[in-house]
Amino acid sequence: MVSIDSVPGVVLGVALLAVLAGVGVVRRRRAMADGGYPTTDERETETETEKPFGLVRWFTTVDHKDIGILYIVYGLVAALWGGTDAMMLRTELITPGKTIWGTETYNGLFTTHGVTMIFLFALPVFFGIANYFLPILIGADDMSFPRINAIAFWLLPPALVLVRGGLITEIIAKVISPLGLTALTAPLLALKPIDISWTMYTPLSTAVANPQVDLALLGLHLSGIATTMGAINFIVTIFAERSEDVTWATLDIFSWTMLTTSAIALFAFPVLGSALIMLFLDRNFGTAFFALDGGGPMLWQHLFWFWGHPEVYILVLPAFGLVSLILPKFSGRKLFGFKFVVYSTLAIGVLSFGVWAHHMFTTGMDPRVRASFMAVSIAIAIPSAVKVFNWMTTMWSGRIRLTAPMILLVGGIGTFIIGGVTGVFLASIPIDLLLHDTYYVVGHFHFIIMGVIAAAMVAASYYWFPILTRRMYDQRVARVQAVLLIVGVVVTFTPLLILGYLGMPRRYAYYPAEFTLLQQIATAGAYVIGVSVFLWITNMIQSMRTGPLVMNADVWNLKETGQFTREWQWFEERLEERRSFERSESGTAPPGDDD
Amino acid sequence: MERNRVTSAIAGGIAGTAVLTLLLILLEVQTREQIRAFDVIARFVGTPGQTAVGFVLFVLAGVFAWPLLFVALRDYIPRGPDPAAQGTIFAVVLWIAFAIAGRGDLSGAILILYTAYTFFAHLAYGFTLGVVYGHFREGSQVPREYYAGQ
Ligand code: HEM
Ligand SMILES: [Cu+2]
Repeated sequence: MVSIDSVPGVVLGVALLAVLAGVGVVRRRRAMADGGYPTTDERETETETEKPFGLVRWFTTVDHKDIGILYIVYGLVAALWGGTDAMMLRTELITPGKTIWGTETYNGLFTTHGVTMIFLFALPVFFGIANYFLPILIGADDMSFPRINAIAFWLLPPALVLVRGGLITEIIAKVISPLGLTALTAPLLALKPIDISWTMYTPLSTAVANPQVDLALLGLHLSGIATTMGAINFIVTIFAERSEDVTWATLDIFSWTMLTTSAIALFAFPVLGSALIMLFLDRNFGTAFFALDGGGPMLWQHLFWFWGHPEVYILVLPAFGLVSLILPKFSGRKLFGFKFVVYSTLAIGVLSFGVWAHHMFTTGMDPRVRASFMAVSIAIAIPSAVKVFNWMTTMWSGRIRLTAPMILLVGGIGTFIIGGVTGVFLASIPIDLLLHDTYYVVGHFHFIIMGVIAAAMVAASYYWFPILTRRMYDQRVARVQAVLLIVGVVVTFTPLLILGYLGMPRRYAYYPAEFTLLQQIATAGAYVIGVSVFLWITNMIQSMRTGPLVMNADVWNLKETGQFTREWQWFEERLEERRSFERSESGTAPPGDDD
Repeated sequence: MERNRVTSAIAGGIAGTAVLTLLLILLEVQTREQIRAFDVIARFVGTPGQTAVGFVLFVLAGVFAWPLLFVALRDYIPRGPDPAAQGTIFAVVLWIAFAIAGRGDLSGAILILYTAYTFFAHLAYGFTLGVVYGHFREGSQVPREYYAGQ
């Protein structure tokens, strides 16, 4: 039979071309005379029209704000894809035996899920937020190296394609198969999604034949290069581009955390890059870095975790920065103990390089080395706890306003406490010997990753939405979404902690029947998270198009508590520019024009 | 540039069908062909077993029939005057038919994913249809609102 799967490919290709051509040919019309308004806001002030039109603008931009948005969109695509993996994982776990896919696909799913979330989603989103706001917060015109900034971003899409290969190549093979080019489609179909887990431990990762693993290694290497370039750019920008009135003493907390994160990345990612290349050479060119008579599998683990542990702080520090920045705004008070939050950030930055072997307690390394890593691992909890207490004292007797971002932050701090305390337990050797490689570990890091990291991102999207789009979103839906996200995280990951205590190992598609109920509760929680993500996306997209226009820059009433910070002042100036432009264009003054 | 309603609707239909097809291919590949989305389509349009014919009918419906129906019914669809919001509502109705008629013998846990993802894909279809339609049509402006503060 002529493969039916090929028909949609051809139709799709033609249709996409037609749409592109259509959009390219048709220019948007100007403002309507009857006071009506097009669905998107297309009229541009003078500064805005300096940019090229349409798609060209996005492919050629070196403006930090545009690049920031590109990063965020990219991270969102990765998150949705990795989230689809997660939903499939959880669906497979509804029944103890094979529910839908079974072991092989499950292995592929948790690998691509982990890799996508860690490498392609989390940091790109923070780099995006920072790209947009950090220059504004420190009074810089742009990043130090705008072109390197653009290059660093544009390395990421190929990285995504390489890492997630397998499926993408399968789609391409289906699209071109009617042309009958088996010579082309056969190698494409040979690429299977990788299934060696995101830790890529040797000897498994050197032994598997799947050529997709090599492509994924190159893709990860590429994303590491991109991260290093971005990190250097942030560091130089913060050192060299601050406006005169921004000193080290008045640098905002988000910039401090981005500085520390970038510094950690600068030291950690080159190690990962080297390790990836060594693995690549071992697989393809007969080197013996990780062979038994070479460095052995332990060498891989040391190199991997020398990057891997700092990486978790690379991800969490920007989230801490956002919490520290936004929380005071809805507490009506200044951040309590600003200095100590900065010091604890720097302390984490240094200590994060001294704990990596706590991921290797069960490998049989020298007990004295093990003990020292345990000591440092427990010590690193202190600066994190300092922050938590600072956040609590910030809210203490403050005037709390439970807006959507605030709900996410408070909930995120709560889930972070669970994630952090379970981490202290894992840092202690005797407990880790019991809990290593169980669901407890998965529960622990998801409480942090989904709890505070994802929550802080969403909170930032709500907090700064008016600046990004000049519009307001539906705040009621946003509050519902915030609560659903936090509830979903707790419902999903608490059962995992319990499963771990009961001894259920991670990374298994099948499990003994007595764990069924806990697994099903976790799956239900995951679907709640899915619903909340859906609400967030629809709210963002629809509000971006038709949300009520913001006329007064003080959206959150920050002036009355003296917290109308730089980015909002910048926003106020832009609104003013826009208003005088509209006045000159239409002759009628929009409301709020009198202030 | 003003287009008439029919060409605008068909343009919207092309864009929407492209998006929907893309999403269904993605779903198909991502779920390792457990849903067999194109068999679903064939069942949906009433030609089970003849996937190619079914797919052609699917494209015709997505490009011509639904968009024209959408334009004809627009006055009765809630959430106007924004055509994109109306398009999503319209698509929900299509999705209900699609999910029920195309379900075939899918059962158990895969139905959850099937339902959720085809829902999302149909919203994307309706939204794209509405946006592209509105893009070409003068009569589709959304009244300008201002945010009144907290
Ligand atoms: C809806 C949200 C999420 C759900 C339901 C979820 C669920 C899961 C599940 C079921 C596993 C496999 C556990 C196992 O069998 O060992 C897993 C692993 C993992 N997840 Fe998530 N996850 C979510 C979000 C995230 C995010 C946001 C990140 C990172 C930023 C992340 C990072 C990881 C990592 C690194 C692994 C380990 C992969 C491996 O074992 O190789 N997850 N997740
Ligand atoms: Cu660690």
